[in-house]
Amino acid sequence: MDTIVVNHIAKSFGETKAVQDVSFSVRPGEIFGLLGPNGSGKTTSIRMILDIYQPEQGEITILGGPMTEEKLNHIGYLPEERGLYQDIDVARNLTYLATLKNMTKEQIDQKLPAWLERFDLTEHQKKKTKELSKGMQQKAQLIAALIHEPEIIIIDEPFSALDPVNTQLVKDLLVELRDQGKTIIMCTHQMNQVEKLCDRLVLIDHGKVLLEGSLKEVQERFATNQVLIQTNGDLPESLPGVQSIQREGLYYRLTPSDGFTPHAILQQLIDQKIGLNSFEIATPTLDEIFIKVVQEGRNGNEEDN
Amino acid sequence: MKKIIDVARYEYTHHVGKRRFWVALLGIPVGLLLIMAVSMLFSYLSLDTEPVGYIDQANLITQPQEVPEKLGFMEIFIQLIPYANEESARADTENGTLQGFVVIPAGYQSTYSVNYYSNKLPGSEVTGEINGLLRQNLMLREQVPHLDRIEEGSQISLQSLDGRQSSDGADWHHIIVPIAIGILYFIMVMTCGGYLLQSLVEEKQNRTMEIMITSMTPNQLMIGKIIGNLGVGFTQILVWIVILSIGLLIFRDQIPFFDDLNISAGYLTISFSLLILSFIVAAGLLAIIGALMSTLEEGQSVNSLLILPTMLPFYFFQAFLKNPNGTIPRVLSFFPLSATFSLSLRMAFTSVPAWEIVLVFVILIVSIALVFWLSGKAFRRGLLEYHKKLKLRDLFVKEEKNG
Repeated sequence: MDTIVVNHIAKSFGETKAVQDVSFSVRPGEIFGLLGPNGSGKTTSIRMILDIYQPEQGEITILGGPMTEEKLNHIGYLPEERGLYQDIDVARNLTYLATLKNMTKEQIDQKLPAWLERFDLTEHQKKKTKELSKGMQQKAQLIAALIHEPEIIIIDEPFSALDPVNTQLVKDLLVELRDQGKTIIMCTHQMNQVEKLCDRLVLIDHGKVLLEGSLKEVQERFATNQVLIQTNGDLPESLPGVQSIQREGLYYRLTPSDGFTPHAILQQLIDQKIGLNSFEIATPTLDEIFIKVVQEGRNGNEEDN
Repeated sequence: MKKIIDVARYEYTHHVGKRRFWVALLGIPVGLLLIMAVSMLFSYLSLDTEPVGYIDQANLITQPQEVPEKLGFMEIFIQLIPYANEESARADTENGTLQGFVVIPAGYQSTYSVNYYSNKLPGSEVTGEINGLLRQNLMLREQVPHLDRIEEGSQISLQSLDGRQSSDGADWHHIIVPIAIGILYFIMVMTCGGYLLQSLVEEKQNRTMEIMITSMTPNQLMIGKIIGNLGVGFTQILVWIVILSIGLLIFRDQIPFFDDLNISAGYLTISFSLLILSFIVAAGLLAIIGALMSTLEEGQSVNSLLILPTMLPFYFFQAFLKNPNGTIPRVLSFFPLSATFSLSLRMAFTSVPAWEIVLVFVILIVSIALVFWLSGKAFRRGLLEYHKKLKLRDLFVKEEKNG
């Protein structure tokens, strides 16, 4: 059963249509990427999932039904705009926020030290939040989102203030949580992280879904016949069956002519006795897909207007 | 319910646990007491307590001044010493033994005027002692019965037209209760309301609010905050009551009406219920302000507009004294923010119809429901609008969520 089902939701603020038509579903045991440029409607969609806003159209199902106060206890949320009490210490911050997720004092006392240890915050727990670095505050905020062991985890830009070591720490944690069967929605602009972590994704812009599917499906959908090769010498200016050759650093990007496949090009390269260090079919990066889809979507909107 | 209690507990301990809370809490009464004590001490020390002489040329004084066996705390006694003639009294005044002397002339009983000789003006304690001595001896001469009662004056009993409320004229001190309630309400709105506003705006500014309302409903959050801050207010009141009680016990003998103070439990219950309900209305309004404003400074400037109506009964105090059931006192009783002081004040002076009391309570309860509904909307809309100030009408732009 899908943990979260978002079905054609829409939301306006005055004249502004923040979300026009968004649908997707998220399953247990997966990391789902909710992607989109700034102002695309991601945060409004999340706030509707969290029942902060009520959709004007469509419906949202959480854990098999509408949101209830009880279900809020099973959700962990890391908002884009981080929020901890600045004038109280980290331990008290986390204890209070965990209490609001229905944890008892005993449960908190039992779990908090391990979380602080994992995020290397043990010796900073008595410091006021404002005395911590941005990265440390973000780690503390992540503890607040996860300490109550929620079934659903919604995290907005989880790596924004983290150094590479802590980024890896959080990535490992997210994978671990996914493997435990948690449902994770991740919003981020860091497409390389999406490529590494997300099982499925949805791309929205102007409040509408532009793209949805598994990472593999999406990449295949946007795949071209282009190949990337690395040679141990220069390439001739032209090759039979190759429409164009572009130099990209150490690589050459070859675009096949109509009717030619990457296999045919490989055969050509072998026939020409060109020494190859690597040969790969050029899969479009998520960054490229993101830009392409968003631009096409915006051009389409302009034409409609 | 647990989450409401959690929020209330956090709000309460967050404020009460801070040193600045206790400094402010104890600072107000201690500061007031210090000012009073210092000013009393200065006036006490500046008093001239040297004796005053008198020359009785009218042979009026048959009963000399009574000398108290023991003086009370900071009590003043000016000794009046009889002198045979002006010369000896003048000599003692010049050498500083006396601060001055008074001559009761032979024809005093036709003029009732005396002459006081000194190089400085006599204080009220001097003239009081002289007048007392003269009055007492005049009365003795006239053989007036019940002299003490005449000196005390008459007691006038008041009765309302419907006969339900009466006053024996010594009830003037009952005004203490409504004034105390009015001041407490004002202080609570100022301080606890201020804390509430500060807490909301801070949570909005530091983005904690988004976490909070994904853990509970906006109304739960608001109720928890109001209860917590109400607790802070009651802690303030309790501490002040304890300090006041200790003061009253220590200075019991110096407070003339203390033994006569007889306030009905029903009246106190109504007054304190009004205080709580009015504060909840004010707190709800402050929550709306906190949700709509984006900075504490903006919130505080709007907050001062909210405090103004709580002061209205003080401005129209004369109207309450003149006719407690007049239009202005009645209108102010029906206005939620001024109801506490207005109704309590009216009830101290006159008989307020039962239906009016009930109506005031109904208005307050309806106001609470209305303010809560509105602040729930304000929370949902305003608390996540970090970067802009919202207007009240924005709350009615299509936006809804199950509270």
